[in-house]
Amino acid sequence: MNEWIIETKGLSKRYKGRYAVSNLNLKIAKGDIYGFLGPNGAGKTTTIRMLLGLIKPSNGSVNIFGKALNKERLSILRRVGSLVEYPSYYGHLSATDNLEAIRRIIEAPKSRISEVLSIVGLAKEARRPVKGFSLGMKQRLGIASALLGNPELLMLDEPTNGLDPSGILEIRELIKQMPKQHGITVLISSHLLSEVELTAGTVGIIRQGELVFQDTIANLHQQAQGSMSLVVSDPEQAHITLRQHGIESVHRGKTLLLEQTSDHTVARIVRTLVERKHDIYRVEEKRKTLEELFLQIVGEGTQL
Amino acid sequence: MMFKALSSDFLKIRGKGIWFLIFLGPLGIIAMQALNYGLRYDYLTQRYAGRLWETLLADIQMFVPISLFLGVTLVSSLLAHIEHQTNAWKQLLALPISRNAVFFSKFAISFLLLTLSCMVLAIGVAALGLSLRFGMETMPIGSILRLSFLPFAASLPALALFLWLCMLLKNQAVPITLGVLAAIGSVFTSLISGTLSKMLPLNWPMFGYIGPRQELFVAAGFAAGCVICLMGTLHFIKKDVN
Ligand SMILES: Nc1ncnc2c1ncn2[C@@H]1O[C@H](COP(=O)(O)OP(=O)(O)O)[C@@H](O)[C@H]1O
Ligand SMILES: [Mg+2]
Repeated sequence: MNEWIIETKGLSKRYKGRYAVSNLNLKIAKGDIYGFLGPNGAGKTTTIRMLLGLIKPSNGSVNIFGKALNKERLSILRRVGSLVEYPSYYGHLSATDNLEAIRRIIEAPKSRISEVLSIVGLAKEARRPVKGFSLGMKQRLGIASALLGNPELLMLDEPTNGLDPSGILEIRELIKQMPKQHGITVLISSHLLSEVELTAGTVGIIRQGELVFQDTIANLHQQAQGSMSLVVSDPEQAHITLRQHGIESVHRGKTLLLEQTSDHTVARIVRTLVERKHDIYRVEEKRKTLEELFLQIVGEGTQL
Repeated sequence: MMFKALSSDFLKIRGKGIWFLIFLGPLGIIAMQALNYGLRYDYLTQRYAGRLWETLLADIQMFVPISLFLGVTLVSSLLAHIEHQTNAWKQLLALPISRNAVFFSKFAISFLLLTLSCMVLAIGVAALGLSLRFGMETMPIGSILRLSFLPFAASLPALALFLWLCMLLKNQAVPITLGVLAAIGSVFTSLISGTLSKMLPLNWPMFGYIGPRQELFVAAGFAAGCVICLMGTLHFIKKDVN
C-alpha cells in the first residue's frame, strides 16, 4: 500500500471510556491537499496528535510513507512538518532564535531560517521577541517552523486560526503552492469547509470521532447536486406515470421531488408528463451549497 | 542526538534568569561569609588562629545542602517552564528526536549548569579566604574542591526527581513547594544523629562532604540519581503529549 502517504486503519483513541476518535481509516495520496473537516471537538487534533506519535492510539495503526509509525517514528518525522492546535513558541526568544532552536535539532541549513521567515512574511519581525507578536504572527511563525525542515508531508491543524482575512488568503495561496512547486502532500484541518474548499483535492469529514465522508472534492460537489421539484396538477397520478417510465420521485402536496437533474432526464420527465396531459406549473432546481451539505453531514450525521 | 537537543536547550535558556541563578547561589553563600568575617574579622581570626581555612569551610558547609536543594528545584522548574509555557512539548516532541534524548538533554544541561555553580563556589571560597589573608600556603585545595563538588554529586537523586516532577506537572507550584520544603527540611534532618540520619537522602549532600566515608554517599547519590533518571525517562517516553 505504498501509494498512500498517510494511511490509518481502525485508528481510535479512548479517553476515560469515551472515544475521541473511533475507527478512522484515512487515506491520503501523494501530492494531494487533504482537507480534514469537522466541528470543534470532533477529534481532528486528537487524530493529528496520533499521526505525529504525540499520543498513543488506543487501537489501530498509522502508516506514513508506507512505514509503520510505531516502528519508524523518527525516520518518518524527519520528512514531516507540523503545526498542532494553537502555536507553540518560546516567548522570550526572537523569531529567528525560535527557528534556530528547532534547526539545531533537525539540522536544516542555517540559510533556511530566513527563507521560511520570508515565505510566511515575517522577515521584518525576525529580531523581535515573539511574546510581543499578534496571534496571527505567532501562527505564521508556527507555519514557518513546520516548513523549516523542507518536509515532504505537512500537517497543519487549523493553521488559519487567528488570522485576519488577508492573512487567511495568503496562507491559502501558500498552501496551494505546496504540491505544485515542491510535490508536498498537505493535511490541513479546519472546522470550516470554505477554508479548504478552494485548495483541497480530497476532503475527510469527521463527526464525533468518526469519519463520515472521505472522497474527492469533485465528488462532494456531485453529492451537493440538488434535486428538481415539479409542481403539477395531479402529483399522485404523475408519480405513478413516472414510475412506469422507470423514474423515481417523491410527492409532497402538489410538488414532485426528483433526484435526477441531468438535462436529458429532466427533458424526458417533462415530455412524458405533458404527453399524459398533466399541467406543469413550475420546474425548479434546488441546489444545495457545499456548505449546506457539510452542515447537514456534520449536523444530522447523515451517512453518505 | 542528545547533543542536538542540548545545543537547542542552551539557546532556549537565554534571558530566562537561569544563568543569573547559577551565579547567585554560590556568590550569595560567599557574600554571607564575607559579611560574617568582615564584621568580626579580629575576633574570628584570633579565636580560630591556625585553622582559619577549616573554619571558613565549616561555616560555608552549613549552607551548601540547602542551597543545592533550592538550586536543583529552581533550575529544574525554569527549564521545564520554558517548554510548559506555550506547551512547546507538542512542537518539540513532533520533531525527529527521541524522547530519551529530550529528557537526557534536560538532565545534562541542569547538571552542567549546577556543576558550573559548584565551580563558582570553589573559586569563590578560595578568593574569599585569600582576600581575608588566610594565606596561600595553608589553602586546603582538596577540601575546597570536595566541599564544592561532592555534596552536589550526592544530591543528584534530587535533581533527577525534581526534573521529572517539573517536566511532568504543568503547574510548577507543586514541585517548587516540594523543593523548598526539602531544602528547609534538610536543615532539620541534618540535626538527626545515628544511622537513620545517614539513610536520609536529604542528608547525603552533607555527608558527601563531612563524611565519614564520603565516597559512600557520593556513590549512593550517583546510583540513586541514575535510577530515578532512568525511571523518569521510561515514563517520559510513554507519556501522552497533549
Ligand atoms: N487529553 C484529553 N483527555 C480527555 N478528553 C480529551 C483529551 N483530548 C481531547 N479530548 C476530547 O476529545 C474530543 C476531540 O477533541 P479534539 O481532537 O481536540 O477536537 P478538534 O480538534 O476536532 O476540535 C473532545 O471531546 C475532547 O474533549
Ligand atoms: Mg482542534
